[in-house]
Amino acid sequence: MRKVLLVHLVLILCLLQQAIAQDRTVTGTVKEAVTGNALPGVTVLLKGTANGTNTNQNGQYALTIPAGQASEELALVVSLIGMVSQEIAINGRSTIDVTLEADTRQLSEVVVTGYSTQNRREVTGSVATVAGREVALTPIGSFEQALQGRAPGMLVQANSGQPGAAASVLIRGRGSVFGGTQPLFIVDGIEVSATDFSTLNPADFETYTVLKDAISTSQYGSRGANGVVVITTRKGAAGPTQLNYSVQYGFSTLPENRLRLMNSSEKLAYELANGNPYNWSAADVERLSAIDTDWTEVLFRTAVTKNHSLSASGGNDKTTYLLSGSIFDQEGTVRKTGLNRYTGRANVESKAGGFVFGLNSTFGYSEFANTYEATTSINVPLNAIRWTNSYETPYDEDGNYTQTRAGQPNALELINENTALRQQLKGLGNVYVAYDVPALPGLTLRTNWGGDYTSNESAVFLDPMTGPGRSVPGGKGQLTRGYNRFFRVTGTTSASYTHHFGADHTLNVALFNEIVKGSGRGFGFTGYGLGGPFENEAGITPGTATNGFIPAVNGEGTKHALLSYFSMLHYGFRNKYYLSLTGRRDGSSRFGLNNQWANYGSVGLSWIVSEEAFMESMTNVINELKFKISYGSAGNQAGIGDFQSRELYNQAVYNGVNGLQQAQLANPDLKWERRSTFNTGFELATLQGRLRATVEYYYARTTDLFLNRQLSRTTGYSSLVSNIGSLENSGLEYALEGELIRSNDFTWTANLNFTYNQNKIKKLVGSGDNDIVNGVYINREGEALNSFYVVRYAGVNPDNGNAQYLNLNDEITETYSPADRVLVGSAEVPFFGGFGTALKYKGFEVNTHFSFVQGNKIYNEDRTNVENPAFVGDNLAAVLLNEWREPGQITSIPRSSQALRSSTTRFIENGDFLRWRNLMVSYTLPQNLLQAARIRTVTVFAQGQNLATWTKFLGFDPEISTPELTGARSRVPGQLAGAQYPALRTIMFGLSVGL
Amino acid sequence: MKLHTVAVGLSLGCVLAFSACKDIIEIEPDLQRAGSPQGFSSLDEHEFALTGAYALFRAPAYYGNGSHTTGSWASLPDMMADDLVQTTEDFGNWGTQANWTYATDEADIEMAWVAAYSVIGQANLTLRNIDQFAATDAKRVNRIQGQALAIRAMAHFDLLRFWGESLDRNSAAKGVPYKTTVAVEDLPARLTVKETYDNILKDLEAAEALLSDVDKVLNTPTNRAYLDQVATQALLARVNLYTKEYEAAERYATSVITALPLADQAAFPGIWKDTYPANSEVIWKVTYSPGEGNVGLGIHIGSVNRNLFRPATHLEGLFNQANDVRFAAYFGSRATGNNTPIYAGNSTPASGGPIARRIVTKFIGRANVVDNLLDWKVLRTGEMYLIRAEARATQGGTKLVTALADLNALRAARIRNYEPVVIVGEQALLNAIALERRKELFAEGHRWFDLKRTSRTITRTDKEVLSANTSLAPAAREWAWPIPQGEIDANHNIEQTTGYN
Repeated sequence: MRKVLLVHLVLILCLLQQAIAQDRTVTGTVKEAVTGNALPGVTVLLKGTANGTNTNQNGQYALTIPAGQASEELALVVSLIGMVSQEIAINGRSTIDVTLEADTRQLSEVVVTGYSTQNRREVTGSVATVAGREVALTPIGSFEQALQGRAPGMLVQANSGQPGAAASVLIRGRGSVFGGTQPLFIVDGIEVSATDFSTLNPADFETYTVLKDAISTSQYGSRGANGVVVITTRKGAAGPTQLNYSVQYGFSTLPENRLRLMNSSEKLAYELANGNPYNWSAADVERLSAIDTDWTEVLFRTAVTKNHSLSASGGNDKTTYLLSGSIFDQEGTVRKTGLNRYTGRANVESKAGGFVFGLNSTFGYSEFANTYEATTSINVPLNAIRWTNSYETPYDEDGNYTQTRAGQPNALELINENTALRQQLKGLGNVYVAYDVPALPGLTLRTNWGGDYTSNESAVFLDPMTGPGRSVPGGKGQLTRGYNRFFRVTGTTSASYTHHFGADHTLNVALFNEIVKGSGRGFGFTGYGLGGPFENEAGITPGTATNGFIPAVNGEGTKHALLSYFSMLHYGFRNKYYLSLTGRRDGSSRFGLNNQWANYGSVGLSWIVSEEAFMESMTNVINELKFKISYGSAGNQAGIGDFQSRELYNQAVYNGVNGLQQAQLANPDLKWERRSTFNTGFELATLQGRLRATVEYYYARTTDLFLNRQLSRTTGYSSLVSNIGSLENSGLEYALEGELIRSNDFTWTANLNFTYNQNKIKKLVGSGDNDIVNGVYINREGEALNSFYVVRYAGVNPDNGNAQYLNLNDEITETYSPADRVLVGSAEVPFFGGFGTALKYKGFEVNTHFSFVQGNKIYNEDRTNVENPAFVGDNLAAVLLNEWREPGQITSIPRSSQALRSSTTRFIENGDFLRWRNLMVSYTLPQNLLQAARIRTVTVFAQGQNLATWTKFLGFDPEISTPELTGARSRVPGQLAGAQYPALRTIMFGLSVGL
Repeated sequence: MKLHTVAVGLSLGCVLAFSACKDIIEIEPDLQRAGSPQGFSSLDEHEFALTGAYALFRAPAYYGNGSHTTGSWASLPDMMADDLVQTTEDFGNWGTQANWTYATDEADIEMAWVAAYSVIGQANLTLRNIDQFAATDAKRVNRIQGQALAIRAMAHFDLLRFWGESLDRNSAAKGVPYKTTVAVEDLPARLTVKETYDNILKDLEAAEALLSDVDKVLNTPTNRAYLDQVATQALLARVNLYTKEYEAAERYATSVITALPLADQAAFPGIWKDTYPANSEVIWKVTYSPGEGNVGLGIHIGSVNRNLFRPATHLEGLFNQANDVRFAAYFGSRATGNNTPIYAGNSTPASGGPIARRIVTKFIGRANVVDNLLDWKVLRTGEMYLIRAEARATQGGTKLVTALADLNALRAARIRNYEPVVIVGEQALLNAIALERRKELFAEGHRWFDLKRTSRTITRTDKEVLSANTSLAPAAREWAWPIPQGEIDANHNIEQTTGYN
């Protein structure tokens, strides 16, 4: 509490500064030039003095001018971040209304910096913004995927092309080994779960702000270490009601597949050369060669996407509102899959006296139809299309599903007969009240309470005729129904005080209390014995002791809470020097009694170099130049269990009797991972603001990493989650934005951003050989996280067809030994970014965007199955046709009689790719055509998403999926583990109308 | 005044929703129970923990099956020997064990090690401080303590069977660590085989004594899911056979046989469908209910009809196929394809000839369900007869007669119209008993250990997968499993099994 008291003291000092003198008063209203809306929070200062005030929620101010001042020299300085400041002579007037215009220069941009809003000039940290309108029309179910390549330092990797699938988002490199690495997402001040973005309408979003360095993230304390994405939703503006409607319709197709499998005649020839496992006769071969099923075509389709959105906004100077609704219907390219989403939103804000009341609320309902991916199991349609021989057909002559000779499931039967449906209901909203304390201008009290509610209802049906439907208890199909709900409350209460003293000093101090409390429950049942007329609950056969149909039921639950006190201080001197301080104290229910509370803090400085006198001669060259530097810390508590520090017992049942089973060992010392970041950079504008550049360097060190301290397995456990170890991420970020041509009718702009991130493990558990090896991955001190650790493959010995490897002495050997494993690159992406350009001529606009990653490696586990000659009964990659058959043959594929070693460089590939992410062509009809019809605006457009991808990766898609955002599998990124649902290639046509 | 407003505003944040700020983060789990360093505070909790220990036997690496593990003490010991044959339908997930190519980093071996020590850990949690209740509720304590000791001993014995460098009673070769306390930071060393046996026998004998005086009957006539006194005696018979303490083995086996005689020919096949005759044959089984896993998936996955291991041709040839009730209960044939029927023994489809694809039918499912959902039978009276026969035959002299009588009695219970045979000579009788063991206990988790404790030689004559290894010599290191690399890395006190360094 000591820190909080200190800030209280500062506040008292501020209050004492208030002079008490009353002689004459100037009053007035400040409005925005374009909309005419009243502007609250505008600073109105008597020039050359510390005497000033702020406008209230109605834009009104009243400034007292002491007697005895020479009235002819008096002037007001009226300023607000994001607006061009004005100096207005009083000239004896008692009422002065002011109209401020938006400032379009870079350093005047208003930035949402989390709990507060700042002028970019004042921002001392690393903050990237993406305007909502840039990505609002992207035909993607989950909005974070649309941010790919848009913000420096933020790496967005699509997990999947499945409609609505969430992406993996990393800000400035992976900062944890076992903990969560997803950033914190905040919508209108409320924490939202990163897994459920697909039930939110991205068209409702006004801005995305990516907070990257410590001064920006330490305000989020124990949740800020992975960076924060702050989203604000659109607000209404005063004025007549504006209606906007937009509709899109388009098609998605499958991207190119670069892993070529054998066709029928190739496969049959291969089988005959390798033992003829099915004993084909010559007649069989001839008959089957004539069949050549492309299983990919059987499973995939050209899918339709439809998107409608409607919004209305308006209001008066007291109350503004925005209402919106949308329908998003996206079919997946895999048959039967897709997303149907319906959303609605109401944002209302009302002012009364010194009070502002507001409500932002949205609800969404989504229906998902999914298929399994990122698994190497058979009975998964996306694997079956790889593994089924092309001489098999989906249907036999009678129109029944065929059963394959190899025992592979019929992919079409699986996708048609087995369903995985989910309905999600989401509510996200907040109410807030702000109050300008009239007795003390500059003091604002605010409280903001909101919730993120998600419920999912799922139904997974396995038809008794399919393989998965037979491999269940009772062997006659299965219906699994599940329901879960999760609700998280975020409540933030604050007092902030802004004051100017002297002509040179501005101060903002804010105190906060925050509560985050989440809880969820879920339950479900699995019934058996289906196959009658019903494929739902009605079709379940009641279980008896002998029929094997006894249903299974389950329940689950979770809860956690966070209690925080924090404070922020911003100090500006002469509009040139800015200082920010943040301190936060968090208590979490997740941690042991020994470490339940932790403190975070940061300091940041910025310096507007171009304001200095010595730069005056250069202002025509360098219009704006800002230098900034910050240091501080934030924490991470994601990725571990809600009660990870406790000894836990689970329910256990044996012979129908209930009991307890120890499930977790206690670790009362468990605490947060802590990421300390140093950040510095320049922001530059030149050529009259037409070229803007940002360069930043950062060094982040994560300490107290969650790692598994190894235990003797004789405890029944292999390890205990503990805070050991450290790692670092350091890097450079560049962003360039330029207006190449600017004229009345024609503008051409281009932008580029890229990030280089170096990731290195500093310390792991124990000393000596403390590598953490997990399959083909290694985490080793001094190396990048998730490095690949395999034996180097060295081709084939032409004499005997044996696979060859390089040993540690770089000598060729035919003996495979794990002792010869070496590090061959990492799954972590070191270099990534995006670039785009926009051309605008009168009503025409062409806008395009590319994204790229370079330098990462991918382990292509998919190939270890289709390039394994032991699976001769199933379909194989065409490269196996080159396998070694006779002495002297030069090839890279060993003889088939040798067991495949999959943990070699043969299956490590480069993850580099360049993707043409989006192309938008639009035409806005001229105003004069529309006026007669009383239509405000009409735009027609066409866009393409993922139009092309340049890569050498052997698969559908080099953006590698991980099955879950958190959990075991996501801890091994960069692995194509079987079934892949590739990103959609979509072409859309649309129309926007504004009334 | 104004500061007061600020303070009120801030604390309002808490007060609106909660009685006190600090309560917000004081949360207890609802669906799990938090433990305490002091252990349990009621006898009910000890009993709950005992149930948890039993449940752990179902784990994939013990008797159950997971995606990459097959019951280590269920059918794996048979897959590693000569009477089960890996087929070309096999996924190869257990190839390293079945073909003896394991090294220290073999994940399945680590899973087995952890699975057994998890059972032991849970038994030790059950036992910790249970004596505090002995004065107030002695018979209930006896019941809980006796079972926990028996569980602990049995899991250690199972560990010793795989990891022990020898199975001789007094061997100074490496055994396994014996855990009797709850200690997370403990880094135990390997005991010798002798010391391991000392502990196993001590726990088992104590358990047997405690279970003689309990507050209630543990098992019902047709559902013997708990280690009661009789089951503990059966375990003692088994351990004493391994230690070659034949008199003790004979004595304990006799007690068990008296309490739970053999099933008759009519009832025997039903056992493999979980239809249990009252008070006979099954001494202890680990029960499986829907959702609790499956058994025998490593051999034949009934639901999808995948035959990973098939019975060896020579083994089937050993049976009197027409009259031995075991033949139709253990073996059958099934064509490939969806939902194809299973033909027991040598029966054939009404139309068409015999199906060549032979399957093991012991673990197919209850009643007529083909889902591998069955109890795992750990101890059977058939084994007790074979233990007693072997113990008597080895003691020689007049006991050769009773040994032969045991063998004939077992066969008479299994083979219709059986005529007792006369076998002359101790070795001939022992050979006949060993052969009967292969037939009676096929795929129940004995063959590898029987070979390990006797000839230490495997010669496979029947193989299907080209890469399968066919012989293992007595001196091979593979007769004892390697200590998992993770254990070696975490525990500097433990020594690797000879040959794996």
